[in-house]
Amino acid sequence: MCKYCRRSSLTSSKPVTVEKPIPVNYDLGNLAVFDPNPLDASKITNDKTKNDYLRDVTRDNVQLLINQVLSLPLKKTSDNSNGQNSTMTLIQLPDPTTQLPREKSIPKAKEPTKWELFAAKKGIKKKGKDGKLVYDERTGKWVNKWGYKGKNKEVESDWLVELDDKNVGTENELIDPRTLSRMERKKLVKKNELQMKRNREKK
Amino acid sequence: MIRTIKPKNARSKRALDKRQPKIVENVKTALFVPGTTSNKALHDITVDLAALKKPDIKRFTKKNELLPFEDASKLEFFSEKNDASLLVFMSSNKKRPNNLTFVRTFNYKVYDMVELLVLNNYKLLEDFKKATFQIGLKPMFVFNGSIFDTHPLFKQIKSLFLDFFRGEVTKLQDVSGLQHVIAVSAIEEDDNDESISKLPLVHFRVYKLKTYKSAEPKLPRVELEETGPRLDFKIGRHQYPDSEMEKEALKVPKQLQPTQKKNVDVDSMGDKIAKVHVGVQDLSKLQTRKMKGLKSKYDQLSDSEDEVSGDEDGSSEGEEQDEIIDSSAEEEGDTEFMDAEEELPERKKRKV
Repeated sequence: MCKYCRRSSLTSSKPVTVEKPIPVNYDLGNLAVFDPNPLDASKITNDKTKNDYLRDVTRDNVQLLINQVLSLPLKKTSDNSNGQNSTMTLIQLPDPTTQLPREKSIPKAKEPTKWELFAAKKGIKKKGKDGKLVYDERTGKWVNKWGYKGKNKEVESDWLVELDDKNVGTENELIDPRTLSRMERKKLVKKNELQMKRNREKK
Repeated sequence: MIRTIKPKNARSKRALDKRQPKIVENVKTALFVPGTTSNKALHDITVDLAALKKPDIKRFTKKNELLPFEDASKLEFFSEKNDASLLVFMSSNKKRPNNLTFVRTFNYKVYDMVELLVLNNYKLLEDFKKATFQIGLKPMFVFNGSIFDTHPLFKQIKSLFLDFFRGEVTKLQDVSGLQHVIAVSAIEEDDNDESISKLPLVHFRVYKLKTYKSAEPKLPRVELEETGPRLDFKIGRHQYPDSEMEKEALKVPKQLQPTQKKNVDVDSMGDKIAKVHVGVQDLSKLQTRKMKGLKSKYDQLSDSEDEVSGDEDGSSEGEEQDEIIDSSAEEEGDTEFMDAEEELPERKKRKV
């Protein structure tokens, strides 16, 4: 109709469509296109026409690939890492279809530990972690259950410790109850380490 | 074999853990190994190939005395030591000039090998003196020729090049990242010749993409500009993957397998068809035809009174009648059942 339209139609005369006798196959996950159409052997064996011919064939296939890739669904993401809000449009690629060999075999599932086997037999469920802190009613503060200033070491630093009834009358009666408590705690740690070692060796 | 090391600190433990097999694998590392007969040309060519594969590469500078097809144990050692599963061995002699041996490993054992001899008409990146691709971008691939779908060796070469250069597998791709194309082409095999030496050449080209406005609103017109390296390969010796190893290597972990939705199918026309199962219907609650006379307030409660009044007289008669009715019902049922059995095959026939 108007002169502008005519001009625009002249400048954008180059087509994006490509016609192939045999339709090409795509692997969009790998951004690959496989063209089953046979190449012209006479053009390839001739050194003069070879490179131009290869480029033209490849161009057609790339055009087809680009047409496919750009018509895939888009996803907009906003990046706020550098202080400015910038949005990016990304193409969502499907999973690759061409089977390629792995580098290493599929990792095997970890063998269950002795405890895990036992728990499964008994139907014991794993407890969720209930945190390291515990409320100390005497001081009104949250303190560590173990570790630095841990609640399990409370006895060891007390100025006055009651004797345990089960120790009365035994050889432990004369030992400082603080060292007794400490010894017991260390024994548990040793025991756990041993169990861990055994499980590791079982592998 | 490399002795197994027990990590003594957290850092070395992390480094060892990175080498462990993973469900979603890292990008394969390529290792370039010059042989004793390697030369300047091969060095330059592999520099360019490495530029395409960067940053997942390692290059050896010293020459190594080994023959991949005779004894690959040294390559396997390199693979394990460097955690690289793509190896390129360079050698050149009179029989096989400018020879690149592409080796893939699986679990640090040789998976497959193929010798590609570079013909003398090669051109390097620097020969084109044009703007090249950026490092680390995912390339596009074009494989020209149906031989890549038919010939087993060419299938292997296709798989090799895809594996070698594809980089990271992503779900999201930036449009501006689509910058260069790796094109591998080969003509058809000559049917008269079965020997390996008559296999067609493999043409390896790399192009940079240029886009122009087109008639379509959203799709650009694509033009290509060659950036190099331009390599024509002649195929030498090759080794196919061991069938058992191939099976193991192509396994997809359960976690990555697409979960199939039950009862949902897509037919040949691309229409989604789903089967919906409905529970057993409770017919007692079925709403039948509404009529004024059937309303619950008109329900007759006098039925029970009638029964009570005529109980003594007609008890025996009632029983006899019941029996008669029962037997007749059974007979009818039987006959119906027989009829149905006889009819069934006929119906089937009609359907077919």
